[in-house]
Amino acid sequence: MPAYLHPTTLAEAFESLGEGTETRYLAGGTDLIVQLRDGFIAPDALMDVKALPELQGIKTTEEALEIGAAASCGQLLASEHVGYGCTVLKQAASTLANSLLRNRATLIGNLCNASPGADMAPASLVLQGVLTTVSPGGGRTIELRDFFTGVKKHVLEPNELVTKISFPLTKGRGIYLKKRRIHGHDLAQVGVAGFHDTDGSFRLALGAVATTPLLLDDFGRLSTTELASQREEIVAEAVGAAKPISDIRASKEYRLAMVRLFTERIVDAFANETEVQR
Amino acid sequence: MTTKSLHLTVNGEVYDAFVSENATLLTFLRDVLGLTGTKEGCGAGECGACTVILNGLPVNSCMVLALECEGAEVRTIESEYQNGELSNLQQAFIEYNAFQCGFCTPGMIMSARALLEANPHPSRDDIREAMEGNLCRCTGYDSIIAAIESVGVSAS
Repeated sequence: MPAYLHPTTLAEAFESLGEGTETRYLAGGTDLIVQLRDGFIAPDALMDVKALPELQGIKTTEEALEIGAAASCGQLLASEHVGYGCTVLKQAASTLANSLLRNRATLIGNLCNASPGADMAPASLVLQGVLTTVSPGGGRTIELRDFFTGVKKHVLEPNELVTKISFPLTKGRGIYLKKRRIHGHDLAQVGVAGFHDTDGSFRLALGAVATTPLLLDDFGRLSTTELASQREEIVAEAVGAAKPISDIRASKEYRLAMVRLFTERIVDAFANETEVQR
Repeated sequence: MTTKSLHLTVNGEVYDAFVSENATLLTFLRDVLGLTGTKEGCGAGECGACTVILNGLPVNSCMVLALECEGAEVRTIESEYQNGELSNLQQAFIEYNAFQCGFCTPGMIMSARALLEANPHPSRDDIREAMEGNLCRCTGYDSIIAAIESVGVSAS
């Protein structure tokens, strides 16, 4: 059974890392505790990182919205800092499980769990999120587009800790659409996020249709008229990029149909500057 | 088994205890404090039977380690019954037949209590959203929502 560590400084945290032992970082714990309970993981220690000052809060700087690794999805939903284009994060967070779990689950924990269907991944990808990490040997920044490497896999080194994610401030418009079987209890069968920036940049991200969340951002800058005229090409690119499997939540064919439908709805909403059909 | 000290407040009572590093808040409440009103359903954060209010927010107590609650304030279903009287929510659940087997009821009431404290006059949609994490396999939810709505409507 793992030891419970609860450092209050990064120095204390890194001093506590034992040589040759596996330590798992604990934030919201909504995935980790289930994995522990079911015996899927058996680390030597759990390190509760929620008291580390570097992981706290949600704030805006002149350039970016910054969300700390200790911030829950409930805090994200309540935060006045998450505005303008970044409200697509709120759309995604509001679909994540239910309010009980949102009071514990964190945005960064959702990303670091690296599920292909992670609800926060598509919205975070279209907003061009950048992760900041610290390690005993230093730290780095990682563009979220380079973060996911496979099912439950990412580029973090052992003991590397994500402290925050930064999103460039934007006044563009984002939309997240999610298909699930049951409100409040189901993971995404399909999730599609779209973003149309004020400079015309258009991006899509797909969840639960490949081994990792997918970002499609080679559309260039498109006016609303061009979005309308290129609708079928955009939809074809999204459907072509999706490589879903059939599993207990949905068949491959259903997922592809939903990618098509959601992409159409998102493009239509941007092209016509109307509310998206949910 | 390794234990660590834990200081917290539960239903207004201050406790200093030694708990296993792996104990959840749910097992601490039930097995150490004997507060068995909080139920374990799925044990995996899906059913909401174990809902308690932790520092003002409803959470699944099966998904929280007891040691994460150092210095915290916790409220359980036992806090609803005061001075020999049922709370307004408990009374409403009876009046509206909002339970049958009763296993989900403690969690339902704690989620509803947290909602009413944040939003004293919730709409039906507000109630549905706040109760999404609480499963009931007897009543079909309508009576539960009506019971909570009645308390919201009567709140001053």
